[in-house]
Amino acid sequence: MRDRLKGLIIFMALLGLWLLPARPVSQVASANVEPLTLDTTRPASEVTTPVGGWSFRNHVIPVLTRLGCNSGACHGALAGKGGFKLTLRGYDPEADYNVMTRQTAGRRINLMEPTRSLLLLKPTMKIGHGGGERLTIGSLEYRVLSEWIAGGGTAPVEGDPRITALEVTPRQLTLATGATAQLHVIARYSDGHREDVTRWVKYSTANAAVAGVDDDGAIKVAGPGETAISLWYQSNVAFARITNPYPNNIPGEVFDRSPRHNYIDELVIARLRELRITPSAQAGDAEFIRRAYLDAAGTLPTVAEVDRFVADKSSGKRATLVDQLLNRSEFVDYWANRHADTLLVSSRLLRENAMWSFYNWIRESVRVNKPYDRMVREIVTANGNTLENGAANYYVLHKETTELTENFSMAFLGMSITCARCHNHPLEKWTQKQYYQMANLFTRIGMKNGQRDGDVQVYSNPFGEINHPRLGKPLPPAPLDGQPLAFDSTVDRRDHLANWLTSPANPYFARSYVNRVWKNFMGRGLVEAVDDMRATNPPSNEELLTALTKDFTEHGFDTRHLIRTIMNSAAYQRTGTPNSTNADDERYYSRYVLRRLPAEVLLDAVSQVTGVPTPFPNMAPGTRALQVPDAKNNPYFLNVFGKPPRLITVESERTAEPTVAQALHAINGETLNQKLRAPGGIVDSIVRHNIADAMALRHLYLAALAREPRPDELQRLLTALRESDDRRQAIEDVAWAILTSKEFMFNH
Amino acid sequence: MIRLDAERSVSFCDGLRRRDFLHAGALGMLGLGLTDLFRLRASGAVDTTKERNCIFLMLVGGPSQLDLWDMKPNAPAEIRGPYRPIKTNVSGIEISEIFPRMAKQADKYALIRSCYHTAAAVHDTGHQMMQTGRLFQGGIEHPSVGSVLAKMRGPRGDAPPHVLLPRPIGATGGNMPHGHGAGFLGKQYDPFILNADPAQPNFKVPDMLPPDYISTIRTDRRRRLREMVDQSVQELEAGFKVSQDARLLDENFNQAYTLMSSAKMREAFDLTQEDDATKDRYGRNRFGMSCLMARRMIERGVRYVTINMFETVFNEITWDIHGSAPFSPIACYRDLVGPMFDMGYTALLEDLAQRGLLDDTLVVATGEFGRTPKINPAGGRDHWPQCWTMLMAGGGVKGGQVVGSSDEMGGAPKDRPVAPAEVAATICHSLGIAPDAELTGVQGRPIRVIEHGFNPINELF
Repeated sequence: MRDRLKGLIIFMALLGLWLLPARPVSQVASANVEPLTLDTTRPASEVTTPVGGWSFRNHVIPVLTRLGCNSGACHGALAGKGGFKLTLRGYDPEADYNVMTRQTAGRRINLMEPTRSLLLLKPTMKIGHGGGERLTIGSLEYRVLSEWIAGGGTAPVEGDPRITALEVTPRQLTLATGATAQLHVIARYSDGHREDVTRWVKYSTANAAVAGVDDDGAIKVAGPGETAISLWYQSNVAFARITNPYPNNIPGEVFDRSPRHNYIDELVIARLRELRITPSAQAGDAEFIRRAYLDAAGTLPTVAEVDRFVADKSSGKRATLVDQLLNRSEFVDYWANRHADTLLVSSRLLRENAMWSFYNWIRESVRVNKPYDRMVREIVTANGNTLENGAANYYVLHKETTELTENFSMAFLGMSITCARCHNHPLEKWTQKQYYQMANLFTRIGMKNGQRDGDVQVYSNPFGEINHPRLGKPLPPAPLDGQPLAFDSTVDRRDHLANWLTSPANPYFARSYVNRVWKNFMGRGLVEAVDDMRATNPPSNEELLTALTKDFTEHGFDTRHLIRTIMNSAAYQRTGTPNSTNADDERYYSRYVLRRLPAEVLLDAVSQVTGVPTPFPNMAPGTRALQVPDAKNNPYFLNVFGKPPRLITVESERTAEPTVAQALHAINGETLNQKLRAPGGIVDSIVRHNIADAMALRHLYLAALAREPRPDELQRLLTALRESDDRRQAIEDVAWAILTSKEFMFNH
Repeated sequence: MIRLDAERSVSFCDGLRRRDFLHAGALGMLGLGLTDLFRLRASGAVDTTKERNCIFLMLVGGPSQLDLWDMKPNAPAEIRGPYRPIKTNVSGIEISEIFPRMAKQADKYALIRSCYHTAAAVHDTGHQMMQTGRLFQGGIEHPSVGSVLAKMRGPRGDAPPHVLLPRPIGATGGNMPHGHGAGFLGKQYDPFILNADPAQPNFKVPDMLPPDYISTIRTDRRRRLREMVDQSVQELEAGFKVSQDARLLDENFNQAYTLMSSAKMREAFDLTQEDDATKDRYGRNRFGMSCLMARRMIERGVRYVTINMFETVFNEITWDIHGSAPFSPIACYRDLVGPMFDMGYTALLEDLAQRGLLDDTLVVATGEFGRTPKINPAGGRDHWPQCWTMLMAGGGVKGGQVVGSSDEMGGAPKDRPVAPAEVAATICHSLGIAPDAELTGVQGRPIRVIEHGFNPINELF
């Protein structure tokens, strides 16, 4: 009986915990905050009109947005609708005001008889409206529109208060499946006043399988996991995090005892504890060495390296191995190739010699471990001859100002701002003005042909502006949310941009790079996709991404330090074997996420195991795929296995997804089959030197899979080998089977 | 020399005859247990008496309703555009002069002149909605109708149930999924993608057969050895089981073996078996040759073929006639894109009809949106999801009729507005899939094939 009572008390307490943060804001708001001047959650009749009446900018536009009038499907379409054209989601209140008050002989707004304004008659269907009934008489939205008209239809002015922050309560909720909760959103304005705008905000969920949200900010939890509910209001964004722990019963000591090698582990374990996911066990040595080589340097360990590492009895051997890997030339090849993807190194637009110059500059930067901030600064501020200063080729690849602006954002900020070229970004805070202010930093780059073929001289011009297309004039150059530069400033605009970009305080630059590097090792970015870094796309572990970024910038943007920290963490060293609680988890790093090897790594691995290099056009014999600077004229193998063509900077250009064409190429294609029969290759050596079957199998397993065959495997394969009367063919076939197995084609 | 050839039922060293082995593999490759199929049939979600097929022509770029199939000759010049209507073989139906062949076959297809969607006016959203019936939101990707069919019906013999020709849609500006795949159903129901240009003179699917120096017996032995290596480490196997890509890799190998060993499927890809007159009739371009290949696919058991008329809208002449670079000018309709469609589409309908396949094959042709009624300053037309025309033929659809109409500017549906979900419901209806059949969605939650409240366009049938 007492136990049952205790259970009930615990149950009630837990219930309370779930309900507590979900209470409406009014009950938890502290007393000394300024009172709300508007509360859209109250019944329409009880809402008091703000002193000074409704504001066009801050009330009429949000109402039109809430009603959908200025959406892309209605009057917000490029061509408007029914002759009435508004700016998409009200990004230009001045233009909208003109259209509403000046066009159609002023019939849209009737100041004499406000209720006879088309603006009210049409959406209430008093007269025909193609968009149907949108507005109910007596609703708050009707009141705002009609009272604004009755008040004289005041225009937006420069001095209108602007939103300085959106505050959402609760910001973080832990709820069980089936639970509901209500969000409240308060907009804080530049003059200090506050409004509850819950009813007019646009909501969306990042993961509907976890929780959905309706137009009024009501949340319903659908399943376990975590999601972000993002809010957009007048080009301001915020989000709330909804957590629904998995229904697992895990004793606390599982997390207490889970190994911690550095701060990464503290933060990963905290998250797993919160979500009730048990981490997988630590990987064995053989598993670790193969994984570490492939992820850090894109190469397989040799048989001797595996043997030595497994036999080594010293306690710090994994950390030592990581340090050794960071100093290998293959490490440089691998990371130079990664940067070359982002920077679009290719002879498609560059002459062969210029492409080499760009690539060599990248490779040298990686080799000397140039701090990442310096490396990118050198690109952004690059001047001089492209054959001497490889970094300057960035500007040969991106000549258009708008294209430069957009590529710059993708490559160095991990975000797409393309939407804002034509209108305010619909999911983000970026406005069209910010876009053209940033674009104006790229308007003073001059280029002329150098002395030699393929050489281009890049220099800074003293003049040049880009017009904002609607305003028809240039805006003060400014990096996204950074400080503007005066038009007459003599500071090089690219220097100004580089200062903002590479400052440790920049909230996007180091963070997006850290996220990309993390993904390389952990299989999934803390923010996914890695080039979709938006305020409304929060990371799966904010504390961890912040800590990694801080560590990275405090260590002088040292990429090797970052990689070392990640590889030494217990989180990186887990097995890929799931337990009963984490089979579904690929987001919280409770196990190693298995993945197919990248195209170049796979081809190099096949070449290494078979002992037969792959020929590449215009490259010295023995060159590895990861050393090829170009993305043009790839061998079929690389194309079919997903090497990016480097046409645009976007993560999804590289694909590791298996396809039937890959399987057909592995089975019938010439790449692998020719390597297996090549004279001097591994099969040839085994046969010519009469290596015994067991020894041959051991060698193939160690070379390809970094492990010995187990006795039962060995037995089965030995039997299969003995069935054949042609030894060469039999060895070829076994080697083929190993080199097309999942264990080989995947990193695990 | 021995060749893999299913029709000649080659014996293998393990005693299995090739065809037996194939059938076991064919179902497995689609991840579809027999019980799954039986359960669906028993529940009535799949009407097996209607074994119809579908060819879905995705007219990437967004064809203009006003210049093609919904002309407004009495509208002002800046609306009606440069082309004139012509009569067709069905009285009362007129279409653009750039489609002389279509004009002779209007009895075969129905025009729906009141399609619209309400999502953002970018290509990607329209691709999603027209192929799946839904806009992707909250991180959930919905399956295309072709992949729903693959899931519900499974393969017919050796043929993959859903094939995509010639390539997936690439960049069209939005960086969003285009909706041809299986979405939450899982990648095993994704279409088989050709990924090659069938109009290339020496076109063949790469690596369809082993090189001369690898015999059938060795191919078979390699397959068994590979399975032996793969199944050996149990701890790893547990990890591979929860990896969607690892499962996909296995399915791809199985599918590759099925394709290799099926003479029928190899034939389906082999356009050298068609005579020159036929190829000329379809048009020797990517779209024409894809249509021809689609017919060969349907003849050999493929259930659903998706054809993307173009891969992108950038730096390519397409339906996307903004009038300025890198997009297309309005004149390309008359000079290139129009004739290409006119030839490929009519050849396909005629050919299917002559072979008695049209009644059982629904041919859908639609863009992702229409174009602005008013010609823009560059002499082109911009995106316009508010109204466009699509075509349906065969598969039980009565040709020679018009469903719905637009206003006098072709700017909005005047009557019978048709939403993307209704188009998807119509395709399902023709194929015998109940719109209210339930699929297993994300985290095991049931989700209707067609969103509640959307019905097939019954007057088409």
